[in-house]
Amino acid sequence: MTNLFEGNNVIVQGITGAHGSFQTKAMLAAGTNVIAGVTPGKAGQKVEGVMVYDSIKAIQETQTVDITVIFVPAPYAKAAILEAIAAHVPLIICITEGIPIHDMLVVNKALKSSNSTLLGPNSPGALLPGSNKLGIIPASMSLKGTAAIVSRSGTLTYETMAGLTAKGVGQKYVIGIGGDIIHGMGYRESLELFEKDPEVDQIILIGEIGGQDEIEAAAYIQQSVTKPVFAYITGHHAPAGVQLGHAGAILGNDNESAVAKSDALKKAGAQVASTITELVNIVSSTTKP
Amino acid sequence: MKLLEYEAKAILEPYNIPVPTSLLIKPGDTLPTPLVLKSQVPIGGRGKAGGIILVNTPDELQPAITKLLKLEIKGFTPKTLLAEEKLHIKKEFYFSILIDRQLAGIKLVAHKNGGIEVEDNTDFMSWPIEDKSQAEQIGQSLAEYYELPDQTFVLQDLIENLYDCFVQNDATLIEINPLILTEENNLIAGDCKMTLDDAAAFRHDWHFEETPAEVNFVTIDPKGNTATIANGAGLAMATVDAAYEAGLKPANFLDIGGGANEATLLKAFERIVEYTHLQAIVINIFAGITRADEVANAIVAAKQQIADLPPLFIRLAGTNYEAAEKILTENNIALFPDLESALRAAKEVVHD
Repeated sequence: MTNLFEGNNVIVQGITGAHGSFQTKAMLAAGTNVIAGVTPGKAGQKVEGVMVYDSIKAIQETQTVDITVIFVPAPYAKAAILEAIAAHVPLIICITEGIPIHDMLVVNKALKSSNSTLLGPNSPGALLPGSNKLGIIPASMSLKGTAAIVSRSGTLTYETMAGLTAKGVGQKYVIGIGGDIIHGMGYRESLELFEKDPEVDQIILIGEIGGQDEIEAAAYIQQSVTKPVFAYITGHHAPAGVQLGHAGAILGNDNESAVAKSDALKKAGAQVASTITELVNIVSSTTKP
Repeated sequence: MKLLEYEAKAILEPYNIPVPTSLLIKPGDTLPTPLVLKSQVPIGGRGKAGGIILVNTPDELQPAITKLLKLEIKGFTPKTLLAEEKLHIKKEFYFSILIDRQLAGIKLVAHKNGGIEVEDNTDFMSWPIEDKSQAEQIGQSLAEYYELPDQTFVLQDLIENLYDCFVQNDATLIEINPLILTEENNLIAGDCKMTLDDAAAFRHDWHFEETPAEVNFVTIDPKGNTATIANGAGLAMATVDAAYEAGLKPANFLDIGGGANEATLLKAFERIVEYTHLQAIVINIFAGITRADEVANAIVAAKQQIADLPPLFIRLAGTNYEAAEKILTENNIALFPDLESALRAAKEVVHD
């Protein structure tokens, strides 16, 4: 059985915008099967050779849609995600940054009574080297292989991926769950995917200050993950109560700190690095040649 | 964005959430006494710091105004003072509505003991709320918890109104503390803290004293010896962590963002050189959307335009790296192969 991320027919919502068109080109170049785009009012145009439609429904009259990648600007992103949910798109990936929290609460409610899975928002998307590029993770820095990366941070993901690639450690999955407070699939769902996929040998988890997601991930690792897990948590020296870049990167209680999260992951059996360089080194040194 | 008390109360009022009768007051104004004079600062602990004065007689008013306008509270001095009617307090409760991250939803939080000592409480009651139709049921259990059975209808209305206010204003926190029960058996919002979601600013006409907090440039230690520049929030945090690991004292967190160009970088340099104890600048860029050659050009321009720029320790990778390397080499600016070697070199020139 193939998983959601290996879906074949990919569409891009917000394809006519600057980001949407630029990234569509990069996705096509990486071999992703982008079958159509959506921008209301721009049906009939073509972007990078891809036909634009007014709605997902219009595409579905003739083709099935497995995955949508959303680049729609924040004020309209809620409507775009809700449209994808209503159209029963199995995997919805939202790249857009800066969606209001109350909009995401509405989206979350709609997701609960649907069969769709959301990745993001404020996410770089997912990259399956040699198979599917679903978002903005640069394919040129990746290598097909058996490691799986899940992260809340874009640049740290790229850095880790490129570091592993340089050492000859390839990746099956590179997944960015996004830096927002309210988001779709998280560490737990990603870990479940990696654990179940026989092509994955090593799991790499990159986290940051704020929230409890990494603590919950540690509990899940302890209970259900048998594959080796390597982790790095950033923000060890973050001042309390101050937002650092990501909407979700704000240190509230002590149990949201980098130390608390690193400790929880260590207790769960993960090897925890104190820098990205160290992370890349310990993963590559334990990789079977 | 954090609102001041008077701004928050002005938002509550149209939702029929009772607030004390109040006026903004300035030196020279006269008002009937007794009244309560409150410094409008964007920080908690105001009462304990002397930022609230009970004015009993008319001749106490002007000295109290003068005093509060001068009083600095945790680094803030007020631009505005609020004068409120003096309430006859029977009991003080705590009540708030907020976004709960783990719940990924909205939650109501209450405590029987409100007021300035609320942080000592640990046993808060809370109720998830998805829809205001739940106000009736939650209001009933809140009335039982507060031991105010005769206020059940009032609390149900309060929840319904507060929920509407919270959602319609894109709030992430509305905290009413204390929620005052008066001798006349009225429930009144004595103080209110409100935080609004900056991301929703596009659909509101917001004008407040405070401006949204800057999230991409944060000072960590104004006396730090090393400034950091990176792109992406995660990488910027990781750069600060690695600088500490290397024995440096980072002054700041700076995420120049995706697609940063020469102008944004130059601006960053200008702000960084303001740190008085600065001895080194560490630059860690992983170019994706950002182009490494643009970063290199900005570094060259900064060296030419900013006098007394501390030594730079640069690590670049990613898009257009080769072009960047060429630009920097031509200008005799050293590049380090990785962040660790850049930090080690920085440590050698930095002295405490």
